[in-house]
Amino acid sequence: MKKPLVIALLILLALALLAAMAELPAVGQADAPVHTHVSARYIEQGEAETGAHNLVTAVLLNYRGMDTFGEVLVLFTALCAGFAVLLAAARNGNKHYRQPPAPQESGAVPVIAVSPVVSFVVRLLAPFIALFAAYVILKGHLSPGGGFQGGMILGALFIALTLVLGKQYSARLLPVAWRPWLYALAPAAFLVVGMIGLQLTGYFLGYPQEPAWHGVREAMMVTLEIAIGVGGAVLVASLFLALESD
Amino acid sequence: MLPEMLLELRPNLDYAAVVVLFCIGLYAVIVKNNLIKKLLGLNIMETAVFAFIVTSGMVEGGAPPVLGPGVMPPLASPLPHALILTGIVVALATTALALALIIRIYLQHGTIEADQLRELD
Repeated sequence: MKKPLVIALLILLALALLAAMAELPAVGQADAPVHTHVSARYIEQGEAETGAHNLVTAVLLNYRGMDTFGEVLVLFTALCAGFAVLLAAARNGNKHYRQPPAPQESGAVPVIAVSPVVSFVVRLLAPFIALFAAYVILKGHLSPGGGFQGGMILGALFIALTLVLGKQYSARLLPVAWRPWLYALAPAAFLVVGMIGLQLTGYFLGYPQEPAWHGVREAMMVTLEIAIGVGGAVLVASLFLALESD
Repeated sequence: MLPEMLLELRPNLDYAAVVVLFCIGLYAVIVKNNLIKKLLGLNIMETAVFAFIVTSGMVEGGAPPVLGPGVMPPLASPLPHALILTGIVVALATTALALALIIRIYLQHGTIEADQLRELD
């Protein structure tokens, strides 16, 4: 009874959206507004002004660096909120917790053992995945890639290793006591690099423009990329492991 | 009216795919009873929005906006890509928080079916 009504409403919504889409400039048209305002400037002068060959990184870290600062703060806040929710659940002792209805046929949920094939392949590929992640993070301003992408690769590798080799192994790889410091690595790096920019140019997150300062500019960008990558990796892995435990 | 719209839509067929994806996600959010399935629907909607904005940055015959030897204009607009990179990270954050909340709901009430949760109140 509910479904046909929802489908009818969604068809109406789709028609309205399609009507709006029909009014947009054609896909791929070179004189659409998205290509003519700031984008044109970014493409013409982005490399000279930021020193990044990858213009997406130029926009992300330089032109719209403040937005990226906010973004890493959003990630950090999500981690804090997730931990708070899960910790409160653990501390309550789950006194409201009612036993879920027992599965009818299968009985108890079986513990899934990791297949030796999966375990071998993960261990075999781990160094290469780590190397690829480092490449994506460090070369993010010159080639496709960047801190967020490399961080996700690194975080996924960490999750895979934890699932295959157990928590003792991942604790040896990255001691639990270090993790809280790494959660805040990306926002802290933005703060530090922003302050350096303030000192050098008079603007928070400003980058020096003179050719002589090119090395400093590049070092600032790479610092941010590494902080975003490592911080993001630890954040994602920790969120996953927090969800997975109990 | 409808045939005219379809004719106008023809150069924008990529956008039409996005609309379909968005509606599939919204359908899951409204109709599905399981909170995790609702969350998956939300993620499908987010994907539709990301695809829409990235598609708008494309240019006919354009290269990716990474400069280097042999890269000739026209280049795709880098701004939508950077915006969507931000959007994807925020979507990840909201998904993780929503999953944590769903786990909490399950621990508290022993169910994540929306209709059963409504009866509890």
